[in-house]
Amino acid sequence: MKRDSGPWLAWVLLILALILIVLSESGSLGPLENILSYVVAPVERGVSGVVDQLGGLTRTARDARDLQERVDTLQRANESLVQENFRLREYQAENEELRRQLSYRQANPTLGLLGADVVEQGCSVFPCGDVVGQDVNPYLRFLIINIGTRDGVAVGMPVVTGGSAMVGRIARTSPNLSYVQLINDPASRVSAMLQQSRITGILEGSDEGVLTLTNILPDEQVEEGETVISSSIGGLLPRGLILGQVESVSYLESDLFQQASVRAAVDFRRLEMVLVITDFPQPDLTELDLP
Amino acid sequence: MSLYFGIPILLLAAVLQSVWLDGLRVIGGRPDLALLVVVTWSIIRGANEGALWGFVGGILCDLLSGSGLGLWTFSMTAVGLLVGQPWVHALGPTLIRLAMMSALGTVLGHALLLVMMVLLGYAVELGPSLLTVALPAAMLNFLLSPFAFTFLVWFHQRSRRSLGGFAA
Repeated sequence: MKRDSGPWLAWVLLILALILIVLSESGSLGPLENILSYVVAPVERGVSGVVDQLGGLTRTARDARDLQERVDTLQRANESLVQENFRLREYQAENEELRRQLSYRQANPTLGLLGADVVEQGCSVFPCGDVVGQDVNPYLRFLIINIGTRDGVAVGMPVVTGGSAMVGRIARTSPNLSYVQLINDPASRVSAMLQQSRITGILEGSDEGVLTLTNILPDEQVEEGETVISSSIGGLLPRGLILGQVESVSYLESDLFQQASVRAAVDFRRLEMVLVITDFPQPDLTELDLP
Repeated sequence: MSLYFGIPILLLAAVLQSVWLDGLRVIGGRPDLALLVVVTWSIIRGANEGALWGFVGGILCDLLSGSGLGLWTFSMTAVGLLVGQPWVHALGPTLIRLAMMSALGTVLGHALLLVMMVLLGYAVELGPSLLTVALPAAMLNFLLSPFAFTFLVWFHQRSRRSLGGFAA
C-alpha cells in the first residue's frame, strides 16, 4: 500500500477544523449548516425509515411481533392513562388552590382581590415531529426531529409528548431538522415544582441521564412518589408539563438544600413522535422595569 | 478521488450511528462507526486521506449532533492524521496495527472530543465519560476492525484500478 509523502493536507484540514469550531461558536456558520442539512436530512429520514422496517424483520415469528405490538399498545395506553392521571391531579391541585383563594375572598369581603398566575398554561400551536435519530455525540443527550425552521420551530421552544410530558427544549435548528436538548442532558436546567406540595426547585440532568431536583429548602417536606411538573418561573415554559416522579430524597446537614432523585415521565429511547410548543401565553416582563 | 465513495460511506456510517446504533448496547457501549471508517481508511491510505475522510466524516457527525460544527471534525481529522503516521507501520502486520489503532484511535478521538467540549464549557466529566463511553466504543471498534478493513480494502483496490493509484 502506498504511503503519503507528507501529511501537509492533514495539517491544513486540522487547522480548518479549529477555525470551524471558532466560527461555529461565534454563530457565523448558520447558513453553511442550513445548506449542509439539506443533504443530511433526507438521508437521515430515509435510513430511519429503512431501519424501522428492518427492525420488524428481525423478529423471527409473526406471533412474537403481534405480541410485541400488543405490549407496545398496552404500554402506550398505560403511559397515556398515567399522564392523564397526572393532568387530573394538576387540575385538582389548581381547583383546591382556587377554592382557597375563594374562601379568602369570602372571608375578607372588604378587600379588593385580583387573581393571577405567574404564567398561565395554554399552548396553542403544536407542530408535530417524528424522532429520526439520536445525537451521534455520546456525551450529549439530544434528539433529532424532522421539523425545522421551515415549520416555525425556533430555539428554546419546549418539546412534549402527546400526554403533556416534557421531553426537552429546542437547542438548535436547521430548515428541516431540529435538535432537542433532553431534560436529562447534563446541561439541562428546568424550573420545576412538586404537584401536590407546590415546592419549587430546579430539575437538572446529568452525565448518566439521571434527573435530580435541586434547590429544595431544608425545611420542606418532600414525599416520595410526588409528581414533578414544570413551573412557570422565568417564563420559559408553560406551567404543568409533567417531568417525572420523586423516587428518593436526600439531605446532608452540610448542604444548603435538599435534593430529590426523579424518575423521568417518558422513556427517551422509545420516543417516536413529539410535539413542539411554538407559542404559549407569557407575562409581559417589560413592565417589571428590570435594570 | 476517494471521496466519491468516501462521502456516501461516511454519511451512511454517521446516519446509522444516529438512527440505529444509539439503541444498541454491547458491553456497556456502542461502536463508533464513522471513527472506525476513518481509522481504517487512514491505515490503508495514509495520513492525508485519513485526515480528509476524518474531516468529511466529522462534519457529517457534527450535522447530526446538537453541538455546533467543528467538534467531531477536529477530533476525527486529528485521528486520521495520527493513525496515518509512518511510525504506525512499526506496530506490526496490517491487521494487527489496524486493530490496535482502531482501539487507540477511538479512545483518542473521544478524548479530544471531550477535551474540546470541556474547553467550550459543556457539562461533561472527562474521567467517567472516557471509562463508560470511550472504552466500550474502543473495544467494539477493535472487534469490528477486520470487517471494516475487508470492506474498505475492496474500495481501495477498485479506486486504485480506476485511477491508477493514489499519492497525496
